[in-house]
Amino acid sequence: MLFTLAAGPMVAGVIAFILGKKFGRPVRDYFADLAAVGELALLIYCSYLELNGTPVYFIAKDMCGLGLSLKLDGFRIIYGLVAAFMWAMTTIFSREYMAHYPRTNRYYFFFLFTLGATVGVFLSADLFTTFLFFEIMSFTSYAWVAHDETKESLRAAETYLCVAVIGGMVMLMGLFLLYSITGTLRMDELYESVSQAVVADPSVKLRVYVAGGCMLFGFGAKAGMFPLHIWLPKAHPVAPAPASALLSGILTKSGIFGILVISSQIFLHDPYWGFTILVLGVITMFTGALLGVFSINIKRTLACSSMSQIGFILVGIGMQGLLGEENALAIRGTILHMVNHSLIKLVLFMCAGVIYMNLHELDLNSIRGFGKGKIVLTAAFLTGGLSISGIPGFSGYVSKTLLHESIVEYMNEAPAEMYGTYKFIEAVFLLTGGMTLAYMTKLFVAVFLEKRTQGTGQGHAEVYSYDAGNGLYDESHDKRRREGYYMNDQSSFAIILAALGLFVLGAGPYRFMDRLASLAVPFMNGEGFGEKVNYFSGGNLKGGLISVSIGMLIYFGFIRTVLMKKDENGNKVYIDAWPAWLDIENLIYRPALQHIIPFVLSFILRIIDRMTDHIVSLMQRTLLSEIEPRRPLLYGNAFTHMTGIALDKVEELLNDTVRKKRPKHVNYEKKIVLSVEQVFKTFRLTSRSVSFGLMMFSLGCIFTLIYLIYVLVMHIS
Amino acid sequence: MYLLKDVSIYFRPDTLGLMFLMLTAAMWIMDLIYSIEYMKGEKHRKRFYLFYVLTLISMCGICMAGNLITMYMCYELMAIATLPLVLHEQTEDAIAAGKKYIFYSVGGAFLGLVGFFFIYVYGDTLNFTPGGVLNTVRLAGHENAMRVVTLLVIIGFGSKAGMFPLHGWLPTAHPVAPSPASAFLSGNITKMGVFVIIRYLYYLVGADLIKGTWVQYTFLGLTVLTIVMGSMMAYKEQVFKKRLAYSTVSQVSYALFGIALFNRIGLIGGLLHVIFHSFAKNTLFEVAGAVILKTGKKKADDYKDMARYMPITMCCYTLVSLTLVGIPPTSAFLSKWYLATGSLETELSVISWLGPVALIISALLTAGYLLSITLKAFFPGDEYDYPCLEKKEPGKYMLIPMLIMSVLSVMMGIWAEPVMRVARLIAASIL
Repeated sequence: MLFTLAAGPMVAGVIAFILGKKFGRPVRDYFADLAAVGELALLIYCSYLELNGTPVYFIAKDMCGLGLSLKLDGFRIIYGLVAAFMWAMTTIFSREYMAHYPRTNRYYFFFLFTLGATVGVFLSADLFTTFLFFEIMSFTSYAWVAHDETKESLRAAETYLCVAVIGGMVMLMGLFLLYSITGTLRMDELYESVSQAVVADPSVKLRVYVAGGCMLFGFGAKAGMFPLHIWLPKAHPVAPAPASALLSGILTKSGIFGILVISSQIFLHDPYWGFTILVLGVITMFTGALLGVFSINIKRTLACSSMSQIGFILVGIGMQGLLGEENALAIRGTILHMVNHSLIKLVLFMCAGVIYMNLHELDLNSIRGFGKGKIVLTAAFLTGGLSISGIPGFSGYVSKTLLHESIVEYMNEAPAEMYGTYKFIEAVFLLTGGMTLAYMTKLFVAVFLEKRTQGTGQGHAEVYSYDAGNGLYDESHDKRRREGYYMNDQSSFAIILAALGLFVLGAGPYRFMDRLASLAVPFMNGEGFGEKVNYFSGGNLKGGLISVSIGMLIYFGFIRTVLMKKDENGNKVYIDAWPAWLDIENLIYRPALQHIIPFVLSFILRIIDRMTDHIVSLMQRTLLSEIEPRRPLLYGNAFTHMTGIALDKVEELLNDTVRKKRPKHVNYEKKIVLSVEQVFKTFRLTSRSVSFGLMMFSLGCIFTLIYLIYVLVMHIS
Repeated sequence: MYLLKDVSIYFRPDTLGLMFLMLTAAMWIMDLIYSIEYMKGEKHRKRFYLFYVLTLISMCGICMAGNLITMYMCYELMAIATLPLVLHEQTEDAIAAGKKYIFYSVGGAFLGLVGFFFIYVYGDTLNFTPGGVLNTVRLAGHENAMRVVTLLVIIGFGSKAGMFPLHGWLPTAHPVAPSPASAFLSGNITKMGVFVIIRYLYYLVGADLIKGTWVQYTFLGLTVLTIVMGSMMAYKEQVFKKRLAYSTVSQVSYALFGIALFNRIGLIGGLLHVIFHSFAKNTLFEVAGAVILKTGKKKADDYKDMARYMPITMCCYTLVSLTLVGIPPTSAFLSKWYLATGSLETELSVISWLGPVALIISALLTAGYLLSITLKAFFPGDEYDYPCLEKKEPGKYMLIPMLIMSVLSVMMGIWAEPVMRVARLIAASIL
């Protein structure tokens, strides 16, 4: 049954593709809805069985060579259900959203295929199965990001795929190492076999850390952990909104799932590991929020927010390792924040999708005021926004409080010299919470409170021209849209249901959230804890209030002043103040991976590659070449030949180097031969003439005279 | 049948031989079906098919040979029989490539011949025996000479398998041959080099003489170097068939790497990779041929938007590309898994983890040079967004082999047990 959950949607994807080709959009859309809802229903049934004491698992020993195994437990039920629920909602939402898109068959194919893979990741009981579905998921979700096939989306998709492939391969290296240490990849056996291996040979510990680091790299790349977050802010804005919701809400969580497995199975209660994750989490959390504050594109802001929330979750995972046995708070905070964030992002991205569907714009200046008077949209967005900002009474507050409490708890336990560090981390935590509120306020005010100013409307025109070209243009639809209609019943149903779920969750922190958390605790090897946390106690509310006030301060003190400028008409507009060059991808990764490393490597390797060929050809020319028989020179002699050839070579060399632009072509050998011939010829002619004889005679006379004089002088002296 | 007093022609296939034989025959048939359509427009078809059959015969001989001399003779016959396939086009390039090919083949084979003389002197018999035939009494004091010779033999026969330093013929010869021939050259003839090295190392010299010595380190070092070098050169190469040839250089060295590990898991990985790579590379060259035949495009950049014209072909291409990169659940992931874990299991200090790292780097580069084409073909960008369609899909004779092989190369990864059992059986019988 579990295997059907993973493989079923993949088959459904193929069927949807064929249906779309054969019968057109409506049939395919209904089929896709059916598949997604069916998946949810089947999963609920499986969970029901599991919770009532019938273990549900799937093991295929020989499948894929190393054996696949899936199982259900508390955590897996929660995340499987979250995934299936999100897919069901986004599939329903996709119908209207994708109505004006080309190539939707491909979209649905990859959409459903990824559902299977993602559920597979969350249900996997061993790391090989995780890896397998993880890779499938990475590749199939590429198609979402690239769907528009504009230059930006292709570039973002390229980044996404590169990060995914590199992450996947590094993770594979980690798996190799881990397997060589433990001989098993089953999650429930990992802890024991690793500790056994370490006890048997302490030097293995280093290897375990390397393996863990490699896997952290792979899962962290998917989760959007700093410094591998580069794909997140680029991929989300360009993907279709339902896909962004899933990318952000659930695909990043599959990375978190992996990190959780490593942290709670391999490095259970390991403070060094916990501290590493904590530091990475703090950086991710803060950087994401900072980018979010600066961003002026609604989906980009939401993407940065995802990154920041992933940072919060990582902080929770880090605290789990640091707190050791008493980590119940951190565990509960982590799982609740994961669930919250998934649902929040589902709601928020669908809201952004509605905006884009109507305006085909994402820039805050173009969409401002769109939401005015649209009650459903406002309510949904507000639920998500308040929840993510951690306002008491909403679900995000509960999970953030738990995370905050866990930091405080450890701060009081930690050695005195580390107290400052954790105080600092706590401060960053609260500050980031404030920044979250600030950028959510920025979005809310811009979309729902400000006056509507007409955007460029360019995106709109493009889509209509496309629709008109493909027979998709519907005049009544267009007319209704002008009358204030902005989404159909199915889309509102999806948004309302998702928002309602979120609201209910927040309304019953003890009734719903505590139970959810208790369900997931065994997965992370945590202990149950006795007393209930009083979420609305004075101390906890204080933390929330500090964040809220910081948030208001940032919004009014920074965003409304520094990040908004008056344009020529006197209207205040949002400006993109983030320096364009400050982009870690373009600054470091792309140059290094596209130019520097390939250049250096290929330079060295090309020499090696050509070595044999060159040796062979050198031998052919020298040792193995035929010796040419010495032929008599046609003209000139040895001297002219040698100097002539030497000069020719010099000329050739000069032509190749110095005189490249004005090469000289003189055959020096010929020239020298000619001039030597000339000299000899003249000499011959002269020596035969009478005047030459006379000259010689006179010379002889002169010499005789000189000799006589010489003798005379000698004699006298 | 005796050639000399104690040198006989002797055929005796065992499991290893049969595995290679089946692989060769299967791929030969696939390429044959493919060539029906591909060779339609070519000249000198009779000559092509004559030598094509002769190639198969000689390869069957290699696989079934029971002693060294028989294998060696068939090996030389194969080199000569494949030469006309390379020369087929009779252009100046083809002739130059043919010369280079024969030079490397014969040169490599002569290096291998040295080993033959040594085995003749120091061994009990020339027949293949699992575990080696060397006579320890006679060999005493000459072990190092034997090791040097073994390395020479590895390098010599490694030339067929495209191992550095004698890999130079592949990127020259493969692109000029007609596609069915280059598919077979790249997918199967290179494997004969692997096969001969297995025979020599495991059935004549024996693993004990080599294991843990400098010869093993050198062999491993050469294969690791070749793996990275081949992928990097392929990544930088623009002519598509040449890129595939470099990819072969890299991928066949995966198999050699497994053999050089001298442990059971590594050997299983090597054998599996022989099979999986053969399927994938044959398909890739057939895709290249189909594209050349239908559109005349030879460069990697020309594949932009290709999926619109040849969707099925490009789907096959994508499947086998994923296989070669080693994305689970496709087949080549398995062989890579075995190679890497086998390598980490050995006690060879540096090289035991350098090998897996090289595999990972090579996989990344493979993704870079194969998947980039898939992306170009399927996601060409919005300037290519026009509805006019002119299908250029090749005919069924070309599509069927491609489809069969690409689907199989994925399926063998999902239901791997039959193939794995064979590999395990062979590995258990010789190590």
